Amino acid sequence: MTSATTAHSVVEPSATTRRFAGSLVVLYAVITMIPLVWIMLTAFKSPDDAISYPPKVLFRPSLEGFCNLFTTRSRQTPEFIRSLGPPQGMCDSIARDRNMVVAGPSNYVPRFINSLIIAFGSTVLAVALGTLSAYGFSRFRVPLKDDLLFFILSTRMMPPIAVAIPIYLMYRTIGLSDTRLGMILLYTSVNVSLAVWLLKGFIDEIPREYEEAAMIDGYTRFQAFVKVVLPQATTGIAATAIFCLIFAWNEYAFAVLLTSGNAQTAPPFIPIIIGEGGQDWPAVAAGTTLFLVPIVVFTVLLRKHLLRGITFGAVRK
Amino acid sequence: MSLDVTPAIARRGLADRVLRRGPLEAIATTIIAAGVVMLMQPFSLTLYSWSFATTLFGTVMFTIVSKVRE
Amino acid sequence: MNELSASSRITYRAVMVRPSVARRVRGLSDKTLAWLFITPTIVLLLAINIFPLLWTIYLSFTNYRANRANVPTIWLGADWYQSILTDPDIWAAMQVTAHFVIWTVVIETVLGFGLAYLIDKKFRGHGMWTTIILLPMMLSPAVVGNFWTFLYQPQIGLFNYVVAFFTGRAASSFQMLGDVTLSPWAIVIVDAWMWTPYVMLICLAGLRSIPDYIYEAAEVDRASKWRQFWSITLPMALPFIMLAVLFRGIENFKMFDMVNLLTGGGPGSTTEVASITLKRAAFESWRTGYSSAFAIILFVTVFGLANIYVKALNRVKSR
Repeated sequence: MTSATTAHSVVEPSATTRRFAGSLVVLYAVITMIPLVWIMLTAFKSPDDAISYPPKVLFRPSLEGFCNLFTTRSRQTPEFIRSLGPPQGMCDSIARDRNMVVAGPSNYVPRFINSLIIAFGSTVLAVALGTLSAYGFSRFRVPLKDDLLFFILSTRMMPPIAVAIPIYLMYRTIGLSDTRLGMILLYTSVNVSLAVWLLKGFIDEIPREYEEAAMIDGYTRFQAFVKVVLPQATTGIAATAIFCLIFAWNEYAFAVLLTSGNAQTAPPFIPIIIGEGGQDWPAVAAGTTLFLVPIVVFTVLLRKHLLRGITFGAVRK
Repeated sequence: MSLDVTPAIARRGLADRVLRRGPLEAIATTIIAAGVVMLMQPFSLTLYSWSFATTLFGTVMFTIVSKVRE
Repeated sequence: MNELSASSRITYRAVMVRPSVARRVRGLSDKTLAWLFITPTIVLLLAINIFPLLWTIYLSFTNYRANRANVPTIWLGADWYQSILTDPDIWAAMQVTAHFVIWTVVIETVLGFGLAYLIDKKFRGHGMWTTIILLPMMLSPAVVGNFWTFLYQPQIGLFNYVVAFFTGRAASSFQMLGDVTLSPWAIVIVDAWMWTPYVMLICLAGLRSIPDYIYEAAEVDRASKWRQFWSITLPMALPFIMLAVLFRGIENFKMFDMVNLLTGGGPGSTTEVASITLKRAAFESWRTGYSSAFAIILFVTVFGLANIYVKALNRVKSR
């Protein structure tokens, strides 16, 4: 469509219009980025700089936020601290300046690892199941196809809290509460609907003739699926996988209601990072920054497929 | 699917007038929308009380109507 | 197939068995294969979505409490539904939800369509700026929502500072999250910030789906730009706008994470949207039967809207 537009000069906006439109959009983009930039700036501030008034844009960068994110500290008397040996590492010396001693690692890393395991686990499962069903729905005559597809989509639309009540009871009964497996299964069930719809769109675009030719060459249907369709659908599968990953990574409602320790992911954990006397904002910002960076990278990778993803494959640009 | 063709032809006279999918679907959609509005409007508690029944009716109707062949 | 011939040389039995297995795999009819491919997904969804849903329906007719599982369960019929649907407090929560849904959808649609319209002018670098604008919507509403509580701090928060800078009021003179009149708007602002890009992206697709020849014809007829906008651009982008509006409406109707972290429903119950009420009843008061009934009411509403959404989706698809 883009190329079609450039060919006709009648409907082309004038240079002035473009410049005007461009500057408004850039203005919006800059405003919308301020909160995100602020998170990253705060991550490198010392606690005093973070809560100063007026808010500081220029400050001496400090890694105290990251130290506080990764460690737990205990307050000690100056005499006790002086009696200790030399500080072990940068975080310890930062803590000692504040009359504290690093007591041990915080829970951030385990929560982050939980997030990774649950997000990747559910993504792999959802994409595997989704690819199979999408192929089934795309190529075969399935009775009640539209109803099944709607049923699959509607499961994604359910309010998470409404689903969480019976899931909580069910998991409690079968011993899946607060386990990674339970969360993986739950996120898979939410993601599989998106995977089916998105991948069906991608597979619909692969001409049937490819498989038919392969089958004439002696491939079975299944072989044709594995050797012809799957390689063709790689881009689609990758895009779908990233969407599933982002959902599972970002999910909060199920995580906060169904996990408490073992399987807790980062989103419910980051808000409860508390320092002495309230929230430790540099630490929260540091945790948030680390948590958001992968998503920013993924978004840039995905930008060509975003539209598809958010419309369940209906709008393809 | 093709099995449906014969009965569809048989009742075409009636189907054309009353059981057309488009208008019925539009009615069901309107009922669902009305139910949602009733659920969240700030004016009448009675309307609020009947919102769930309305939405449920609209949804059931929509599901049935979408089975009626175009 | 090489594997097959190799094994057939080894034993007689293998020759007898393998071909039949092979034939069975190779000869799988498309119908069998179709079910083989689709069933795992359906089974998973039945186990993790539909079975719990049916259980919720059952519980909604009983006095079950998850924290007192030993108390014998009594069948109550539609009592909970009746009490929820006549309860002015729940009604109030629905109106809080309505305020949130209506204002977010209106703001996001106006801003989103406006942005899409501007981006469609294809200025230099529009691709890069579009990606930048899209970022907030990909981020975790919970984690980012949590950080907004910092931006909203009365004395130290950036938001208050900026507002103070432009209005001349003292930054500590208002509390976005602690004030009864301001907090419903605080959650609207964050949601609009996050989800305007979503509406923009869909509107942009709508604008790009309008073929140029229609505008060319309008130019030939000497229709003014204003006329063109109202009689071509808007009507033709409308199905896409409807799609975005419906989806945002559904999503915000069940909004939980961002509001839970920003205000937790407070102060008082001024930002207690339906999902927060439900969470309080289900996981704080442990009124499982009662909250199940409420969950079903919300679910049916969302399900009804989802029907309309899929209809809108198909309409856009056929374009």
